[in-house]
Amino acid sequence: MNDNELITVLREQRGKVPMDTPVEQIIRRGRAVRARRRVPGVAAALGAAAAAAFAVSAALPVSHPASEPHAQLAAWTVARQADGSIKVTIRELRDPAGLQQRLRADGVPASVTFSGQQNPACQGYPGGGSQSQRRQLLGSVVTGPATGRDVMVIHPAALPSGAGLQINALFRHDPGQHGSLEGFSVGLVQASPQCTGS
Amino acid sequence: MGTQRLDFAEFYRDVKDECLFAVVVSVGDRDAAQDLVAEAFARAWASWPAVSRHPAPAAWVVRTALNASISRWRRRHREVPVPDLTLVADRPAADGGVGGSVDPRIMAALLRLPARQRQVVALRLFLDLDTAGTARVLGIAPGTVQAHLGRAMAALRDDLIPTRQEPQS
Repeated sequence: MNDNELITVLREQRGKVPMDTPVEQIIRRGRAVRARRRVPGVAAALGAAAAAAFAVSAALPVSHPASEPHAQLAAWTVARQADGSIKVTIRELRDPAGLQQRLRADGVPASVTFSGQQNPACQGYPGGGSQSQRRQLLGSVVTGPATGRDVMVIHPAALPSGAGLQINALFRHDPGQHGSLEGFSVGLVQASPQCTGS
Repeated sequence: MGTQRLDFAEFYRDVKDECLFAVVVSVGDRDAAQDLVAEAFARAWASWPAVSRHPAPAAWVVRTALNASISRWRRRHREVPVPDLTLVADRPAADGGVGGSVDPRIMAALLRLPARQRQVVALRLFLDLDTAGTARVLGIAPGTVQAHLGRAMAALRDDLIPTRQEPQS
C-alpha cells in the first residue's frame, strides 16, 4: 500500500461517523448565541460558558416557568418532592456553600460552585466507565424535563454508592453581579469530606 | 426560511460529517466531538455573514470546535482527555449503516498519533486543506505541518499495512 492508497483508505472513513444533530437545532442555538452578543457586557462571559452550557442544556431542556412560586424569594431554593427527588432552583450567584450544605442535608452529597470555579479536592467518580456511560448514569441522577434552565431535579436514590454531584452554575455575568443563569455543568465526583463536605 | 438560512443549511449538510470526523479524530470522543461541532456550527450561524466569506468555513468550524475543546478541558482540568476508542469505533452509523461503520483498526491507529499529528491529519486529509491553510488554522509554520504529516503517515503505514497484509491461514 503506497501513500495514496493509504490516504484513500483514511478518507473513506469520513462519512462513517455521521453528524446527526438537526440543522434546526443548530440554528436555534445560533439564535441564542446571536441574541446574547447583542447584550452589552455579556459577550466575554458567554464565550467561556457557551460550550459547556450547550452540552448541559441538551440534557436539561429549558423553558423558564413564569408561574414559579418562589421566583423572588431567594438566591436558590431546594425542595423535596413527593417522589423523593430534590428540585433545585438557582436564581442568583450567592451562597454556593449554603446550597451545598442544604443539599447534603437532603441526602445529596454535592460540591457546588459558581461560574467555572471548582473545588480542587474533588476527584472524578471512577465507576462510570466511558464518557457515554457517565452521561447515561448522570442522566438518571439529574433530569430536567418540564423544568426551567435554572431548575434541576436530582434523584438521590439513583446516585451510585460513594458518588456525589459536582454542580457548577454558569452565569452570564461575573461573580458578585446578579446575572442570569446560563446553564448547569454537572458531573459525578467521589463523595468525601474535602469535596462534598461532612 | 430566508436566504441566509438556506445557505447555512446547505453548508451544514455538505460539511457536517467531515467536520465531525475531523474533530472526532482530534479529540478522540464522538459524543464530546458532536457537542463541540454542534456548538461551533451554531456560532457559525450566528456569524454567518462573516463565516460564509471565510476562505475555508469548514476549517473555521473545526478550529472553533477545537478551541472550545481546549477551553472545556481547562475548565475541567481533572478530566484528562485520553482518546477512547470504544466511543468512536464501536458505534454503527446512525442512519442504519450507510457506508458501514468506521474501521476500528484505522480509528485506533489515528488515535494513537500525538494530538498535533491528529489535528494535521484531520485538516489536511479529512477537510482537504492545503499545507498553508492547515498552518493558518493551527497557527504553526507550513514546514511544521509537513513534518507532522510525514510522521503521521509513517506511523499510520507502520500501524496499518502489516495488519492489512497478513497472509491468510
